[in-house]
Amino acid sequence: MPESVDINVHHITRVEGHGNIVVKANDGTIKKVEWQVPEAPRFFEAMVRGRSFMDIQTIASRICGICSVTHSLAAIKAIESAMGIQVSEQTDRVRRLLQHSEQLESHSLHVGYLVAPDLLGVPSVVPLVSSHPDVVKTVIRIHRLGNEWMELIGGRMTHPVSIRPGGFGMLPTEDDLRGLRERLEGIVPDLKTLAEVVASLAGELPDFERETEYIALVNPPEYALYHGEIGSTDTNRTVPVDQFESVVNEYVSPQSTSKWTRWHRDSFAVGALARFNLNAEYLTPLAAETAKTLGLQKGCCNPYMNSVAQVVEAVQAVEDGIQLCDELLEAGIEPEKPQVEPRAGEGAGCVEAPRGILFHRYAFDENGLCTSANICIPTGQNHGNIQHDFEALVPQVLPSGQEETERLLKMLVRAYDPCISCSTHYLDVRFE
Amino acid sequence: MGKTLVIGLGNPLMTDEGVGPLLVERLRERMGGAGDCDFVDMGTAGLRVLHTMPGYQRVIFIDCAFMDEPPGALRRFTPREVRSRKERFRMTLHGQDLMETLELARELGERPDEVILFGIEPESTEPGLELSPTLASRTEEYVAAILREFA
Repeated sequence: MPESVDINVHHITRVEGHGNIVVKANDGTIKKVEWQVPEAPRFFEAMVRGRSFMDIQTIASRICGICSVTHSLAAIKAIESAMGIQVSEQTDRVRRLLQHSEQLESHSLHVGYLVAPDLLGVPSVVPLVSSHPDVVKTVIRIHRLGNEWMELIGGRMTHPVSIRPGGFGMLPTEDDLRGLRERLEGIVPDLKTLAEVVASLAGELPDFERETEYIALVNPPEYALYHGEIGSTDTNRTVPVDQFESVVNEYVSPQSTSKWTRWHRDSFAVGALARFNLNAEYLTPLAAETAKTLGLQKGCCNPYMNSVAQVVEAVQAVEDGIQLCDELLEAGIEPEKPQVEPRAGEGAGCVEAPRGILFHRYAFDENGLCTSANICIPTGQNHGNIQHDFEALVPQVLPSGQEETERLLKMLVRAYDPCISCSTHYLDVRFE
Repeated sequence: MGKTLVIGLGNPLMTDEGVGPLLVERLRERMGGAGDCDFVDMGTAGLRVLHTMPGYQRVIFIDCAFMDEPPGALRRFTPREVRSRKERFRMTLHGQDLMETLELARELGERPDEVILFGIEPESTEPGLELSPTLASRTEEYVAAILREFA
């Protein structure tokens, strides 16, 4: 029977716009399929203008609570590029160690608290505490370690305070690193359990594929997260980070108030699956084995598999974290006192945030005061791709009816975990 | 009484959204090392709040809150006294609802014996690094009200 559906899911936030799913179809004819999102917050760029280069990281770390480490790192790299600052190998390693803590924390949070309820058919993680207590406790142990790791290196559980232009204001001790290394080794069995749980439920993920261009950092022979150039699955050519605007090509779409991005096609995707598709051969051994267990193969273009790629990357974060601890301990921690003299200049910084490639650009005058800023967040780069996924998915699933179509569209949005209301928190309550 | 944790929540980039982090720093300065009490600015940490509570008997949250009160109003309440109006579509982990996090902590048996919330009705949550004049002029009053918990 031809289906008629009228889906109108509103993600309401009081402060910062919305992310709506709108689908209308009459007698099997699709009239409207839209992923509606507001313009990404540009307030930050105005806020940092006139501020000292020493203050930028503190402000950048507040853009998003979940990605505060990677916003800090992208900002610091851009500042250092603008001022021609070279950092020590030790600083480079400690920063990468810090970045891994956010990968582990964010991915375990996303898979455990947002995706698992979908796969187990419940509305949120809360009912899973009684129905699947072991799964929830495993996720919580992993997430908790990610947080404590972040606190140890970043100086605070969220919004890190240890990172400075030129180095660190506070470094972990060798005892800290030995303790962390032991805890990272200790979490491996939990990660294996999580991978087994996700593998047993992977059949619940929709079997939907759409040829997609994936974009991520590449830096052979490593699984690039911090260093490298911008790569695409559509070309072997890579682009230096300093030219990121020629990759993202922001443009205004008539059906969205948010800017979309495109490189070789009408849209592209960033995130864990993009990184996997560009860098899978450089995974650490257990992460590669986990990908095999989960049935994830290079070239996968099922967006729902982004969550599976996150499990692989959580393992990668821990394995590479152990390796970085070993390297730092072998070299011994040397005290650093970063002293930076400001100078005029402009520079871009790029890191892989949990949700995908993240760009910051700043210009400074001779006193080190910011004269311009531009940031390009992963969620903004994924919006166009979510719309194109919707357009391909809806005709396939429409015959399954309104409820199922809505469920699959919500799951798709969740797979990308868009950052659309990250800058505010607030309570919204009524008294009883 | 056992150990108390005071958590300030919110974003200092969004005017009155930053009242929680600001007040927690004021309280830290005011209390110094007195009392068996820790202070933490959790910013927009979402579910990370879950990991800060174990080991404390009492947790006090300070947060910007839409409560249908006049701008600047401060209300003290417990989780049992309110219902969240945030939708539960769960599209994203960003903008996580504190009330749901507390529910999860309770289910896990990790919620402290006593949870107290101080909500402050915002005048503005637009981008900006300073509080609105209404809230800025009342910060001492808020600090005094919260300090009464330690009297």
